[in-house]
Amino acid sequence: MSDFAIAALLAATILGASMISVEVGLSVALIELLLGVLVGNAFHLDIPAWLSFLGTFAGIVLTFQAGAEVDVPQFKREWRASLSIGVVSFFAPFAVVGLVCYYALGWNHRQAEIGGLALSTTSLAVVYAVLVETGLNRELVGKRLMSATFVTDIATVVGLTILFVQPTVWVIPFVIVSIALIAGLPHVSPWFFRRFGDRVIEPEIKLVFASLLLLIWLGGRANSQAALPAFILGLAMSNHYAKHRKEQERMRVVSFALLTPFFFLKGGMNVSLGALWANLGILAVLFAAKMVPKFGGVYPLARRLTAPHAAFTTLLMSTGLTFGTITSLYGLNAGIIDRTKFSLLIAVVVLSAIVPTAVAQGFFNPHVKQARATDRGRPLALPEPAGEGART
Amino acid sequence: MPFEYILVAVDGSDPSDRAFEKALELAALTRAKVTALAIEGPLPAYAATVGEVDEVKREKDIFFSALATRARTRAIEMGVELDVELRAGHAAEGISDFAATGGFDLVVLGHRGHFLRDHLLGSTADRVAENAPCPVMIVR
Repeated sequence: MSDFAIAALLAATILGASMISVEVGLSVALIELLLGVLVGNAFHLDIPAWLSFLGTFAGIVLTFQAGAEVDVPQFKREWRASLSIGVVSFFAPFAVVGLVCYYALGWNHRQAEIGGLALSTTSLAVVYAVLVETGLNRELVGKRLMSATFVTDIATVVGLTILFVQPTVWVIPFVIVSIALIAGLPHVSPWFFRRFGDRVIEPEIKLVFASLLLLIWLGGRANSQAALPAFILGLAMSNHYAKHRKEQERMRVVSFALLTPFFFLKGGMNVSLGALWANLGILAVLFAAKMVPKFGGVYPLARRLTAPHAAFTTLLMSTGLTFGTITSLYGLNAGIIDRTKFSLLIAVVVLSAIVPTAVAQGFFNPHVKQARATDRGRPLALPEPAGEGART
Repeated sequence: MPFEYILVAVDGSDPSDRAFEKALELAALTRAKVTALAIEGPLPAYAATVGEVDEVKREKDIFFSALATRARTRAIEMGVELDVELRAGHAAEGISDFAATGGFDLVVLGHRGHFLRDHLLGSTADRVAENAPCPVMIVR
C-alpha cells in the first residue's frame, strides 16, 4: 500500500474515532488506540517512516503537555502528602512488575525495567475527569491526588531516562540545550507572545515545536531520549500557560487534530491480537502485578491523607494510560521489547485505565454516597457546578 | 395543590425543549416552582490528556450556559418562577439523585436525548422513570 493510501486509511480511522468518541462519551485517545489495533490486525500494515516520525514527535508533545498541565502552586502547597502517595504509587508496582517480569516471565533485565516503568504510571487525565465529575477537584483530596499523579509521572520519565541512557559525547550539548530551554523559554515566552503572538500563523506553537524537535534530535544523538527535558520544559511553561489559556487551547487543537491521533494509532497498530490471545494468562499476571502493589502501597497512605475517600482515590491512583503507552512504545522502538511484550503491556495499560475507574465510579463514588446520605426534603443548596477551565 | 415543585431535565434537544414547555405550562396552571436541571453529561472517560477533558468541559459549560439563559427568558415570558441548576455526571443517575434529594413532586423530561448511546443503552427517560422517587412525566 502506498504512503498516501495508508495516510487516507488512517485519516478515515481518525475521523471515525472522533465521531465515535463524541457519541459514546469515551476518550478519543482510547478509541484511536482501539481502532489502531483493528486496523493493524486487519490490514497487516508496516509502519511507514512518516507515521513513525509523527508518532514519535506526538509522544514528546504529549509529554510536554503533561508537564504543562501540572498545577505547580498546588503541588508546592501539598507536596508532602502528594510526594508520599506518588512515590509509593510508582515504586511499589515498578518493583513488583519488574521482579515478576524478570523472575516469573523470563524477560531480560531491560525488558523487565520497561515493563516496570510502563505499569507503574498513573494517568492524571483519567483521574482528573473523574474528579471533575464528582466535584472532588475543588477539594483537598482531589488536589492532593492530582499532585500525587505528577510525582508518579515524573518518576516514570526520570526512570526512562536514567535506566536506558547509553551516553555518547553528544550528551553534553543535549544537557546544555535542555537546561537552556528549560531556564530560558519561560522568560522568553512573555516577550515572544507580546511581539509575535495572537496570530493565525501561531508562532508561539512553532517555537515550542522547534524546541521539542531540537530536543528529540539531540536526545537521539546522545543515545538518550527527550521525554525528561520535554516534561520539565512543559512544567517550566505551566505558569506561562496558566496566564495564557488561549495559547494552550490552540496548542491542544493542533495536537488533537494532527499529532496525538497518529501516536495512539501507531501504538494500536503495533498490538498483535494473536499474541494477546495466546498469552491471556500472562496478561492476567501482569495486570495483577500492577494492581496489587498499587492498592497495597497506596491504600494505607490514602486512609490517612485522602480520607474518607481512601478506596476511591486508591483505585484512581491505579489507573494508567498515556505514560504507559509512551514507555511501551519507547521500548518497542528501541528494540528492547518485541511486539508480543508490547502488546501485553499496552493491553494491561488500557485495562488499568478502564477497570479501576469503573470500579471506583461504580462502587466507591463519593458523589453518589453524598446524594444518598442527604435527607429528603426541600431543594437543597447543592454544590456549585465546576466553572470554566475547571482546574483551580 | 397537585404539584408544588417540578423538576424538568433539559439538554437542548428538541424532546427536552418540548418537555420544558410542558413543565412551564403545568407550573403556570398549578403555580408550582420549576427547577430546570441540566446534566452536562460525562466527561471523556479514560482520557489520555487533561487537555481533552478541559476542552470538552469548556465547550459543555458554554453550551449549557446558553441553554440556561434561554430557559430563564422563556420562564419569565410564562410568568413561572424558575431555578436553573447545572451538574456534571451521567444524566439518568444525576436526575434521579437530584429528584431524590430535592423533594420534588414531579419530574418532567423528554423521551429521547441527544446521542447514539440513548438508542443503544436505553433512554435516560426510561431509567429515570425506574429510579425516580416521584411521578415522572415523559413528553413526546
